[in-house]
Amino acid sequence: MTELVAEELVHVYREGGVRALDGVSLRIGAGERVALIGQNGSGKTTLVRHLNGLLRPTSGRVLVDGADAATLTVAQLARTVGLVFQDPDRQIFAPSVRDEVEFGPRNVGLAGAELRAAVANALAATGLAEAASVNPYDLGGSRRKLLALAGVLAMRTPVLVLDEPTTGQDARGVERVRALIDEAHRSGRTVLTVSHDMRFVAETADRVIVMRQGRVVLDGTPAEAFGPDAWEVLRSTHVEPPLPARVGHRLGLASIATDASLLDALREGAPGAGERPQ
Amino acid sequence: MAAVAVGGFVGPLLLVALGVVLPAVLAGVIGQLARLTLLLSLPIAISAVLVNVFFFPGGETVLLRLGPITATAEGLVFALEILVRILAISGAITLFYLTTRPAELVVDLERRGVSPRVAFVASASVQTVPAMVERAGQITAAQRARGLDTEGSAWRRVRGIVPIVGPVILGAIGEVEERTMALEARGFTRPGRRTLLWWPPDSAWERVLRWAVALAVPVLIVARVAGWLTWLP
Repeated sequence: MTELVAEELVHVYREGGVRALDGVSLRIGAGERVALIGQNGSGKTTLVRHLNGLLRPTSGRVLVDGADAATLTVAQLARTVGLVFQDPDRQIFAPSVRDEVEFGPRNVGLAGAELRAAVANALAATGLAEAASVNPYDLGGSRRKLLALAGVLAMRTPVLVLDEPTTGQDARGVERVRALIDEAHRSGRTVLTVSHDMRFVAETADRVIVMRQGRVVLDGTPAEAFGPDAWEVLRSTHVEPPLPARVGHRLGLASIATDASLLDALREGAPGAGERPQ
Repeated sequence: MAAVAVGGFVGPLLLVALGVVLPAVLAGVIGQLARLTLLLSLPIAISAVLVNVFFFPGGETVLLRLGPITATAEGLVFALEILVRILAISGAITLFYLTTRPAELVVDLERRGVSPRVAFVASASVQTVPAMVERAGQITAAQRARGLDTEGSAWRRVRGIVPIVGPVILGAIGEVEERTMALEARGFTRPGRRTLLWWPPDSAWERVLRWAVALAVPVLIVARVAGWLTWLP
């Protein structure tokens, strides 16, 4: 079980001197399902790249299971924190889907039957088992994105970080990513998702962290993060609450964030619920 | 070209000072210019100096003996001449790269009647290097996140070349196709002259300076051939 901690994390990019992280402190417990949201440039991707050492803090520190990430190489951290990048075309290189998925687990030391099982499970989970021998560039964009995800799933890292996993996915692809997150959560893995898809966030996260200008400005459950009390903060970082939260608010219901909770609230007796419109 | 025409090493050095260093100082890019020029020219400069100092044919004045090989003064002088030419060429190219905006280059070439296709090729050439460097950086990050060890032994680094270079090349090829279609979709191949809404300012002294440089090259070539520059070491 892996715990991630950021302590007063500051990151200033050398090029341009942009202060992308400005004193971020947070703790993500083992097995949590967390979403990181905020406008473009709010520091989300910079933050997650500190978790596996791809970026090093200007000041402050990151602890992965109590160990200072600064003392570990990226290759060492990759055994614990699996990061799926947004653009699959910026990593695919192997001649077949299976070879591509094998790359990560081999690097982190999986071999033999364990490697074969990890690859087979990842391919099955992403719906790519039948395409194992296909050249990755013969897959469509949506499936290449799932391939990138499979490549990290097969590494069996206790922490899974997904950067914009639903971008470019159709409804079926989004549903598959949602199922993958649920499965990873059930198996005890920590899942951290960076996303602009608020409906997806509301339905897949137990905790939502909102960032603005390199700082954490809100940290709570989806109901808290998308409730009317938080709308001013969300607006300040150009995030629109998901539709059920807005509809629920207009109907005078309690703070809700998902389609299912909206339907439940309506059934339980919202004003006018169950009456036919006149 | 002028640095090659002048001969010796003092003349090219003066040309580098006047034609590369001074403009770079005025443009505020001298630091970047020094770094990039060294990066570009160092490998070829080192090999040129070593080959000429130790293996210059006809060298008689011995400076140093290292077993079967001998460093000669004539070789050293020739190596210095080669060195300043390499510096002049790489410095001029780097200065052009650092001070020229690709969009302005394209517009100015088109304004002078160059075909949009040729202008685009010129612009794409200038833009390709930083785009490839940026892409390679992102790909390296993605592969390192999958456990690729780029900080270990030399063998591990060599093993990391294919996973990084592969997507760089495949991505660049894909990008060319995308870019071609995007250009087609915006009427890039339509025949006829284009109406330019804007072009970079071109002041009178800039025109004078350009013509002066253009004239200086043939003048220097004639001077060199006629033997008028033999006083320059």
